[in-house]
Amino acid sequence: MRYTINFKLNGEEMSTEVDPSWTLLYFLREVLGLKGTKEGCGMGECGACTVQINGKAVLSCIYPVMEIEGKEVWTIEGLAQSSEALHPLQRAFIEHGAIQCGFCTPGMIMSAKALLEENPSPTEEEIKEAIAGNICRCTGYVQIIEAIKYAAEERHGSKE
Amino acid sequence: MMRLKVKEYYRVKSTQEAINLKRQYGEKAMYIAGGTDVIVGIKNKKWNPEVLISLNEIPGLSYIKEENGYIKIGALTTHRQIEKSPLIERKVEALMDAVKNLGSVQIRNVATIGGNLCNAAPSADTAPPLLVHNAMINLEGPEGQRSLPLEEFFLGPGKTSKKEEELLIEITIPVPPKTAKSAYWKHTRRSALELPIIGVALYLDVELGDYGRLQKVFDSPDLTWDDGLRALNESEIFCKELRLALGVAAPIPLKIKDLDGIVKGKRLNDQVFSEVIELALQKAQVRDSWRGAAWYRKEMIRVLTKRLVLICLRRILKEV
Amino acid sequence: MEVKNKEELEQFAVVGKPIPKRDAYYKATGQAFYIQDVTLPGMLYGKILWSQYPHARIVNIDTSKAKRLPGVKAVITGYDVPEFRFGFLKDNMPLKKNKVVTLRDEIAAVAATDPDIAEEAISLIKVDYEPLPAVFDPIEAMQEGAPLIHEERGTNVLPLPWKLKVGDVEEAKKRSAYIVSDRFKTTWVTHCCMGTSGCVAYFDPQGNLIMYANTQIPYLAQRDFQEFLNVLGLGDKRVRVIQPYIGGGFGSKLDTYPYEYIAILLAWLTKRPVKILFTREEEFKYTSPRQPTIIEITQGCDKEGRLTFREVHMILDNGGRTSWGATTPSVMMMPISSLYRVPNVFYRATCVYTNNTYCQAMRGYGNPQATWAIECSMDELAEEAGIDPMEFRLINANQPGEITPQNFRVSSCALKECIEEVGRLLEWKEKRGKQRDKARGVGMASLIHVGGGARVYRSDGCGTIIKIDDFGKVQVFTGATDIGQGADTVIAQVVAEELGVPIDDVTVIWNDTDICPWDVGVHASRTTFIACHSALGAARKIKEKILQLASLILGVSEKELKIKNGLIFSEKDASKNIPLTKLLRNIHYKTQGTMMMAEYFYDPDTEMYDKEFKGNFSKAYAYGTHGVEVEVDKETGKVKILKYVAVHDVGKAINPMLIKGQIYGGAVMGMGFALTEEMIFRQGELMNPNFRDYKILTAKDVPPIEAVLIEPWEETGPYGAKGIGEPGCVPSAPAIANAIYDAIGVRIKELPITPEKILKALKEKEKG
Repeated sequence: MRYTINFKLNGEEMSTEVDPSWTLLYFLREVLGLKGTKEGCGMGECGACTVQINGKAVLSCIYPVMEIEGKEVWTIEGLAQSSEALHPLQRAFIEHGAIQCGFCTPGMIMSAKALLEENPSPTEEEIKEAIAGNICRCTGYVQIIEAIKYAAEERHGSKE
Repeated sequence: MMRLKVKEYYRVKSTQEAINLKRQYGEKAMYIAGGTDVIVGIKNKKWNPEVLISLNEIPGLSYIKEENGYIKIGALTTHRQIEKSPLIERKVEALMDAVKNLGSVQIRNVATIGGNLCNAAPSADTAPPLLVHNAMINLEGPEGQRSLPLEEFFLGPGKTSKKEEELLIEITIPVPPKTAKSAYWKHTRRSALELPIIGVALYLDVELGDYGRLQKVFDSPDLTWDDGLRALNESEIFCKELRLALGVAAPIPLKIKDLDGIVKGKRLNDQVFSEVIELALQKAQVRDSWRGAAWYRKEMIRVLTKRLVLICLRRILKEV
Repeated sequence: MEVKNKEELEQFAVVGKPIPKRDAYYKATGQAFYIQDVTLPGMLYGKILWSQYPHARIVNIDTSKAKRLPGVKAVITGYDVPEFRFGFLKDNMPLKKNKVVTLRDEIAAVAATDPDIAEEAISLIKVDYEPLPAVFDPIEAMQEGAPLIHEERGTNVLPLPWKLKVGDVEEAKKRSAYIVSDRFKTTWVTHCCMGTSGCVAYFDPQGNLIMYANTQIPYLAQRDFQEFLNVLGLGDKRVRVIQPYIGGGFGSKLDTYPYEYIAILLAWLTKRPVKILFTREEEFKYTSPRQPTIIEITQGCDKEGRLTFREVHMILDNGGRTSWGATTPSVMMMPISSLYRVPNVFYRATCVYTNNTYCQAMRGYGNPQATWAIECSMDELAEEAGIDPMEFRLINANQPGEITPQNFRVSSCALKECIEEVGRLLEWKEKRGKQRDKARGVGMASLIHVGGGARVYRSDGCGTIIKIDDFGKVQVFTGATDIGQGADTVIAQVVAEELGVPIDDVTVIWNDTDICPWDVGVHASRTTFIACHSALGAARKIKEKILQLASLILGVSEKELKIKNGLIFSEKDASKNIPLTKLLRNIHYKTQGTMMMAEYFYDPDTEMYDKEFKGNFSKAYAYGTHGVEVEVDKETGKVKILKYVAVHDVGKAINPMLIKGQIYGGAVMGMGFALTEEMIFRQGELMNPNFRDYKILTAKDVPPIEAVLIEPWEETGPYGAKGIGEPGCVPSAPAIANAIYDAIGVRIKELPITPEKILKALKEKEKG
């Protein structure tokens, strides 16, 4: 049977009918057509499907869509979509060579975003811990960690 | 599979509601909390529920508090919440060790301690720490609430003594004496996303005699395990209580019983350790599997038990 | 090539600069679409049924129940479709009939309106097998009486003549002062691209095939699919290959796979687009991994430490069918003959059919496996000769201008500098042999790889078309493919530099065989070298046209004209200038106007191997050295990498940031190869087809890595550049093993170097 759920997605209030057989990832990609979030393994073992729920990094491929009732969800599409208004993390990733094939990138950025919102000045160890659940085969993580450090410093140093 | 074959999903607001629904649907329904085991299990075709009863909206099941000499953890507390708890850091160190290294941040954000225990994998990281802390669990079912020691909870891989409709609602741990500390070592190949090859938890309560040499070693920057063990052998530290539990060394997370006779009142040294380890190896049923060879797991039990003693002692001496 | 040297290069606008990857904006905003995201109207979903036995006769396949399931539009088996053989030895076919020889064999396939229905339909297909005795060990498979994988061949040994002979090894043995001999092994590891394999096959209304494929060989695949269409009676139809963004390559997509032909068949039968997308489990189980090896190596040197000979014998488990794994010896010859100076070489490789999985290309294409054996053996030989391993390598280091035993013409070569730099960064002299008490050690290993393309096919060429529009925006159509390595960026850089336009005005288009010119494929680390040369050729042609026209308009000689930032100007008189855009509009919008376009096909003047496997098959060679400091926990066997340095001779770095990305990524892949990654098979069945049990390194596992670029001028390279895609993962394993030996005096000879192997070796050392 179908259920109506109310939630916030990328800052927008939504009320939709969903089917309990859907994971959040399925809902985002197949129902809403938001293809930015990727499926790397479908089993919660690679982090490519990471989104933010109430600010926390969560694996959407093993998260029932029913559970987003009353919650705030952020996906990669919720960050800036144009080069004029990029999120500092997006810009840092682009400028530091943190993106090669790009498949892990949306999940990686969301994990980093969740980190910086909770801990604006993370140490390198804390950065590694935050993205330990996001597998990347291309970059060897080095430039990703550099990018996150840079984004943290940039935000921390800026007057907001 | 793209979609789970679930037809109905209830987000209940009370334990009673959950239990009633489970009674109503019987085997067709499963409880779900964080979902990191249940959804994976459904995708792996391990389970095929038509109904999911989500416990996440039940109020008052997520807490960490100290009350009447007990540390109480609500079953719906996530590993991430435990990770951030100063109370657990100070008084249930082994559990902190366990949750810090469990899965990944994303998993810890939703996975619950209740779920970890009810899933009852022999590798469950929270089990050995809770076992060495003599944890009790509270269950609630159609007939009301009941408590039992955690060691009586696990029956086999994926099997517990919880009845079908019962819910695990709370874990209680007696507040340890000030001289006691615990530690958990998760032995893995990588540093994240891992299940342990072997997991060892140790709880230690001591009476300190002459521990000067040991303190010196702990204070020195280049401490090696050998240095520590040598210093320990030369110190006078008497064991009041030592508890040991193993993960992935038996069909269930295993608390090693009957250690008291070997350790109580004895001075901690290599001899005592050998006896403890011997007993542990006897009681364990370490298996060969393609994930890890039995001889290696046994060897790690030997090595890690001793190291955990040192870790506990270091934690104890920090507070002295 | 106008630029003469590095100094001239310093003045460049974009070449040599860390320009961000051009498509990074799409990827960082989630707008890049991969095969996972491709949907066409009316699209069906295909799913494949794989064999249940590693070796069996197919007695019967009953698809009746599957066919009746609502939503199922087609069910096919090998018996329903025309016979088509493909693969290096033509022993593979899209769907198998009569016999299965590996658990990877495709038995049947289904197309349905929904992936879950397709999955259910697969489960309804009933297959009766007659299991046959199976063999999973290549040495066993070579014996008399072993079960034959392909009976018609009469033997399990593949008819491949891998043999390299240079000089006289037997004679050299007699002259050698020191000789070491040992056996090394590597096992299956796999690419783990984050985006799984998949394709969408679609026949347009006129019956032409359009394949959306995340292939690394769009034009070779196009040819393979064209051959398939011939067999289907569609020989007069065209094939168009469109590549979406590719979620990782690493060599995994250098061959065509059965599933691609199956998608074509399903699309042909249903007259609808059909998508096949692998799950992660399918990706592990049913794509082709890295070639495992059993290597016997003997090396010798004289009293002064100069190598006298190298003899290598290899046995390769070919699995049940043949893909590129069986050709890795052709690349393994490269380090065997040309890593360090060694005058006498003998190499023989035997490939053997078994009922295991079959392999294809993976980053390095056999080089990591061969270098594993060579560089471990080098350390053993150095010890035997009483010479420090770093010194030993310097004594034998290749030099620029050399011609190696395989007739490679080495132009630039900074191997000596790489070794020395590693020695410096690791504090080699202070640390080597001096930290045993702490169970710490340092080790190093070098590499040679092709750096200027590789003539493994008859053509090593790449075509480029450039057009400049009225707004001065440049579109570069290249045959090359971007698999995340940065082809889209370095090509833009060299074109922007050559034409004097801002880099943001240059777009590289690469993903459609209908639009772009031919290229042989993204392999052999060839793309920077070959595709940039090709782009430069076209850019120079266009620049010539532009300057000719500008000289007419401005009334000055072409020779004094330069273009910078989109402005054409005379070096002698700055007042003589015209914006490029104005010139373009001038020549376009008039009677008998012209457009600004040019094309160029670059195919280097290299040689294919001759009958003796000799020939300069690359224009330039890349070198490098990795150094590692480790600490071993002698009680648990766990290895901690304290420091990792990767020093690479890359020629001139067109984009240092992207090059470092390749090195870091390669090094971490190499560390996984060395320490944690292995596909665990039991009786041909993969036990760990997931990320939990296949141990690819996480961010927490990565040690401090330093990547250093040594940039000798490679005169044959575009702006002096050489290739880098593969070298990053080639010497990691032996560098780590050599460091472990320094730390604890044990040498593990089988990868991966697990804690169990170390602990076992330590205990044996204690006993003995």
